[in-house]
Amino acid sequence: MTISRKCVPFTPFDRELSKSTIAIVTAGGVHLKDQEPFNIADELGDLGFREIPPDADSAQLIVTHHHYDHTDADADINVVFPIDVLRDLQAEGVIGGLAKKHIGYMGYTMQLKAMYEGTAREIANEIDRGSRADAVVLTGG
Amino acid sequence: MKGIPTVLITVSPEVSAQMRPPRALYPKGFKIGNSLGRPGMRDLQQQVLRDALALLNQNTRPGDTATREYPEYGEQYEPPRVKKL
Repeated sequence: MTISRKCVPFTPFDRELSKSTIAIVTAGGVHLKDQEPFNIADELGDLGFREIPPDADSAQLIVTHHHYDHTDADADINVVFPIDVLRDLQAEGVIGGLAKKHIGYMGYTMQLKAMYEGTAREIANEIDRGSRADAVVLTGG
Repeated sequence: MKGIPTVLITVSPEVSAQMRPPRALYPKGFKIGNSLGRPGMRDLQQQVLRDALALLNQNTRPGDTATREYPEYGEQYEPPRVKKL
């Protein structure tokens, strides 16, 4: 595989961080316990994603993903989905606040085109229209 | 749709670089599944997130990955390499 020839989708950030709302989007398979788990039985991967509200209790967040060792995330979800850490930074005044929506998806797929052209755009739309995020932190597993 | 500023925290910098993320932080030696550090290391997790967010305002070159070292993480791990075809 070679480096993508697509241009770098760089969007300038011209706000003050301390007045900005931040969203987390993770490929680490994170979701709430009462949300439908990702389908790890499908060898092609699960193209879905789950919306996580900003007031989610981190103890209620779990990982369904079988392509990385998530033992540490099971003990502390913040190692891949730093929602409590964002709250710390909000309390310190480093950021303005947490966005209204955060996203977990399972970043393993054999359907790259569908992930790139479908899921990724749907997630971007959710963040753009529904989250009021000024910037996004992306994490993998 | 307007663009959305993003910053990636990656523990597989060679792999993620293939997609040319606009801004990326590699906490050197962190293993897969430890993007922000180890469980319960809240001070470290805060520092990694602060450093990642700081890249939003820094004059980074789009597509580059910034590497930072965090000795308090402890044992270091080699990141996965991209197989040359």
